[in-house]
Amino acid sequence: GKWKNKERVLIFSSRGINFRTRHLMQDLRTLMPHSKADTKMDRKDQLFVINEVCEMKNCNKCIFFEAKKKQDLYMWLSNTPQGPSAKFLVQNIHTLAELKMTGNCLRGSRPLLSFDPIFDREPHYALLKELFIQIFSTPQYHPKSQPFVDHVFTFTITDERIWFRNYQIIEEDASLVEIGPRFVLNLIKIFQGSFGGPTLYENPHYQSPNMHRRLIRLSVAAKFREKQQVKEVQKIKKKGTKVLVEEDPTEVVFETPAEEKPVEIQLVKPESKPIVKDKKKLRKIQRKKQKKLFRTEG
Amino acid sequence: QDGLKQCLAEFRQQLAWVERLDVTLGPVADPVSQSASASDAVDPENDFQREMSFYRQAQAAVLEALPRLRKLQVPTRRPDDYFAEMAKSDQQMQKIRQKLKSKQEAMERSEKAKQLRAMRKYGKKVQVEILQRRQKEKKNMLNAVKKYQKGLTDKLDFLDEEQTSSQGNKKGNASQRTKKGPNAKRRYKNQKFGFGGKKKGSKWNTKESFNDVSSFQSKVAHNKGPGKGGRGGKGGKKALNKRPGKRARQKMKNRAR
Repeated sequence: GKWKNKERVLIFSSRGINFRTRHLMQDLRTLMPHSKADTKMDRKDQLFVINEVCEMKNCNKCIFFEAKKKQDLYMWLSNTPQGPSAKFLVQNIHTLAELKMTGNCLRGSRPLLSFDPIFDREPHYALLKELFIQIFSTPQYHPKSQPFVDHVFTFTITDERIWFRNYQIIEEDASLVEIGPRFVLNLIKIFQGSFGGPTLYENPHYQSPNMHRRLIRLSVAAKFREKQQVKEVQKIKKKGTKVLVEEDPTEVVFETPAEEKPVEIQLVKPESKPIVKDKKKLRKIQRKKQKKLFRTEG
Repeated sequence: QDGLKQCLAEFRQQLAWVERLDVTLGPVADPVSQSASASDAVDPENDFQREMSFYRQAQAAVLEALPRLRKLQVPTRRPDDYFAEMAKSDQQMQKIRQKLKSKQEAMERSEKAKQLRAMRKYGKKVQVEILQRRQKEKKNMLNAVKKYQKGLTDKLDFLDEEQTSSQGNKKGNASQRTKKGPNAKRRYKNQKFGFGGKKKGSKWNTKESFNDVSSFQSKVAHNKGPGKGGRGGKGGKKALNKRPGKRARQKMKNRAR
């Protein structure tokens, strides 16, 4: 058949990403045959430069990974010429190479996309669903694609986040094995334009990772401060309740100081005590003597 | 909100389903899991539950999509002779297989060790039991031999393996009044103290004798039963309760032998 649906996705990142992100990017490139790679973008450039890059590469979708502080990873999904774009915070990344992911699929086979029914309930989720479909589904008859459908991407909404999983279909009765990768997307904002434009939606449940870390630090500090305060209060309590007692004039009346003894200086070493081997025997002998006396008396 | 909807309307592509291959379904109902009300609130902290819900969602999608694909004549199964590049290299798959194998082996080894330990324990127990049984048999045999030597029993039945107690019934008619042979008390004492054997610990309590409450009579213990055969009541079996004199007893003994 002829390849009609001309979707091309540009997958690239900014500088400062760590190994896990790099592997995730590579995994996405292998899983999506309709993707193109590009070099790392310099952080100095503004985001709308990405639109020009995409146009140069003749791509109409883009996945851009942005790493901040070498800790936080943000992902932009965008429809480049004029369409909407969304920014996510990515967490819990597990790549294809992890040994717990035991499934495998053809390189370039078309995926089945499975969505949570919650995606149909809210307008912003519906928009995201459309974006996911257009980006992640491999066009039919793409030259690099395989005609079989042997794996499925799942997008589920739990805990206000979008969870992504990739399963291999083993049997027709829907027994599945996980291939990987897996990650969690936390929506931040949806923009009307590509990498800019007015904000269509802002996620009220989103908390920036900085905020999150700050809160953790504050809570730890608060605990410590509380402990200090409690200690201080206890100190004050101990000191505070001391009642002043007046001096009693009659106290001194019966005081008689002890007699002063003359100071004796010993010049001769005292005799050493006799070494007693058996104290009990001594005591025994003593008792016997006492008994004798007692008997003679009585 | 409206902006979103507008944007979505503009952005949405009208493609045939076969291009997009998307399915929106909730997870498959799990036969083992909780009721419908609880299944909505999948606890995200509970890893296993969460992953199972994802798995079931994927299953539902697959179960729905595969028939549709088959109808559209899109192949889903890879033929066995179709070799193509896979997403994970063969080397990677080898590593995975190795890891799984090593895990399984470790588990098997631990299982085997556990079983061996259990078997050894059991074997030891059985061995101890057998030894004890042999010693008991030896003791019984010796007792029987001694009895014969002392002339109480003139049968050499103990030499045979199996001794039945049916011999005693023949004498039942002759001495219905008295119990066969010596008194029960006498027999007990003979068994406990008589005819050689270890006597040192014979007056001590063992675990079994301590736990043995068969000689407990509730009425006697609580002082409730009829006192010593009921004074003034029927003077009943005088022969059993009233002890005959010395001469009479000896006569009985001789007669029984």
